[in-house]
Amino acid sequence: MGTGRAGRWFLLPGLVFLFAIDLVPLAYSGWVSFYNWWLIRPRDVRFIGLANYTRLVDDPEFSRAVVVTTLFTVGAVLLEFLVGLLLALLFAQPFKFLRPIRVLLLLPLFVVPVVGATMWRVIFHPEVGVLNYYLGAIGLGPLPWLSDPRLALVSITLVDAWRTIPFMFLVIYAGLEVLPSELFEAAAVDGASAWQSFRHITVPLLTYIMLLAVLIRGMDAFREFDIIFVLTGGGPGTATQTIQILNYRAFGLGHMGEANAIGIVTLVIVAVMCFVLMRAVLRPQTTRG
Amino acid sequence: MRISRSFKYLVGALLVVLAVASGADVPASAQGKAITLSMLAGYKEDVLRASLPDFEKKTGIKVVIDASPFGDLYKKQLLSLSTGAGRYDVVFVDEPWIPPLSEFLLPLNERMKTLDLQDFIPTTVASGAFQGTQYAVPVDPNVQLLVYRKDLFEQKGLKPPATWDELLADAKAFHDPAKQQYGIAVTASSDIQTALYMLLAMWSYGAELVDANGRGALNSAAGRKGGEVFLELLKYTPPNVKSYNFADVNKAIQLGQAAMAIQWASGARPMEDKTRSSVAGKLGYALVPKAVRQTPMRGVWTLAIAKNSTNQDAAWQFATWLSGKDFGHAAVKYPSATSAIHSPRFSVLKDPGTKAALPYADALLDSLQITKERPRLREYADIQENLRVTAGKLTAGELTLEAALKEIDAGTNRILGK
Repeated sequence: MGTGRAGRWFLLPGLVFLFAIDLVPLAYSGWVSFYNWWLIRPRDVRFIGLANYTRLVDDPEFSRAVVVTTLFTVGAVLLEFLVGLLLALLFAQPFKFLRPIRVLLLLPLFVVPVVGATMWRVIFHPEVGVLNYYLGAIGLGPLPWLSDPRLALVSITLVDAWRTIPFMFLVIYAGLEVLPSELFEAAAVDGASAWQSFRHITVPLLTYIMLLAVLIRGMDAFREFDIIFVLTGGGPGTATQTIQILNYRAFGLGHMGEANAIGIVTLVIVAVMCFVLMRAVLRPQTTRG
Repeated sequence: MRISRSFKYLVGALLVVLAVASGADVPASAQGKAITLSMLAGYKEDVLRASLPDFEKKTGIKVVIDASPFGDLYKKQLLSLSTGAGRYDVVFVDEPWIPPLSEFLLPLNERMKTLDLQDFIPTTVASGAFQGTQYAVPVDPNVQLLVYRKDLFEQKGLKPPATWDELLADAKAFHDPAKQQYGIAVTASSDIQTALYMLLAMWSYGAELVDANGRGALNSAAGRKGGEVFLELLKYTPPNVKSYNFADVNKAIQLGQAAMAIQWASGARPMEDKTRSSVAGKLGYALVPKAVRQTPMRGVWTLAIAKNSTNQDAAWQFATWLSGKDFGHAAVKYPSATSAIHSPRFSVLKDPGTKAALPYADALLDSLQITKERPRLREYADIQENLRVTAGKLTAGELTLEAALKEIDAGTNRILGK
């Protein structure tokens, strides 16, 4: 008993640290979001309650940004998950020639997002870009990658996928590597096909890992900024204007209350998204257990 | 060997005299100081860095540069100055930012009297003032120019266009997409340049972004006419101007794809670099076209001192040096064609050496004398951002011209509390 109580004190440094670097700034951000605080008018800082939030609700530009952010997040995470899963399954096969390629596959993960996006801006460039050059050579281009409102969203999704498919691959591949081989051997003895083994052994055992990967990437994609800022800046028009681009604009113009309100709304949306996703996937597992 | 005491005194006295003489113009309060400068990264920064050792050697003042790209510069300056972080002593400020930052800048009216203001182009001095107070010294006057291919115009026997109607006609005449030859290069993206091109055309037809009563006023016959001309112009541009930015306009000229461009004087020098431009030496420069009036847009880069700086004298020394004749001439001679800071002084821009090095010097000087400033309002950064976003929606096809003009005015009125 005494030992248990003493043990609790060991949690204190961690809790203090968490409180200081996480909860205090978060609470401060929430507090600022109730103020009309424009940096160019330092003597006119007023408490306005929920006005910053109601303004966001009434703002069609913000509603559109929520839609764009959701489309981007769903599209990017879905693409990254499917390609990552396929690659992981491929590399889990006992082909020796694939092993050196694994390292190459991870390279985009080590590229700084801004640098990667700048590189892709050059690749997508309408006149000097290498992508349109080759597409043109085979009669499929040139395409207005960043200047067409519909294609621009696809382009930023592709670049995000290029950067983070390695992450999905790495997480799922690590999960595959530690699956017990006995189950697959038993299934093979029982005459299960490759698809049946995948559907009834691999998927259930990998569910938690895949959920984790999708959650991490979902939160990340929802808050994506660098790639979009460098590639399109939110344009053409408002075609790629996400919540984070709006937030950056509000901060940049010195509207601290509004910017913090956008930040808090983002936090709430991401938290709800995680909650719903975890409930949807974890409930059946818990019931079974 | 022993050195006599009198010899030691003599050497000591000589050293003191030399030290005083080397910094004769520098007040004691400025000598030996280090100042931090918030600077535009890249093409403005390079030429400054090249000359900086001369300033540091002459004054003993060390300059620490914190360079940021254009898109981040105002944000960093606003954040640092408004929170009293004291990060910057001196800031390189685009003139529309003077009103919103004025609260945090040191008034310079008295110090300005020590400058030979007769040598400064008056509109450049005005760019650093707000509500009768001088907050910044002009150091790099910028203005929109019409850039055109002299060789192509000569081949067709045409004169450079003086009006928007002539500009449209010439753009149409030179536009031949099959040969990858386009009439004119401008931006039509969500970049700020798109909004400024549109505003330029609207101004020319007599429209104002904000009227005398402090209300948004682009939704007028003049605004509509200017908007229509701007949209018409986009028919004769390279196919991907919807993703263009400032640098892409330059590229279109440098690659020989566009017969004309409207571009800031800051972008002109790389066009004349033979190693980077296939049309160097073939370009002419003129005032932007007019309709009912001629309104080349002013965009002077200025230097301001933070009100809470503890190194104000040293910062002023730096401002006077950067706006001075010596730096002006040195910047003209700076070998890199990608980097340009132009002097705000008549004596430098009219100098034969400057005219020989900068073929656009005359057009720059002429434009600066009749240039039009953007509204001098504390809220201008927000107004311009609203203009940028809405212009982007217009060119992306999200809004009609009429809806865009209404949205711009509504946004302006909301920002100004009208």
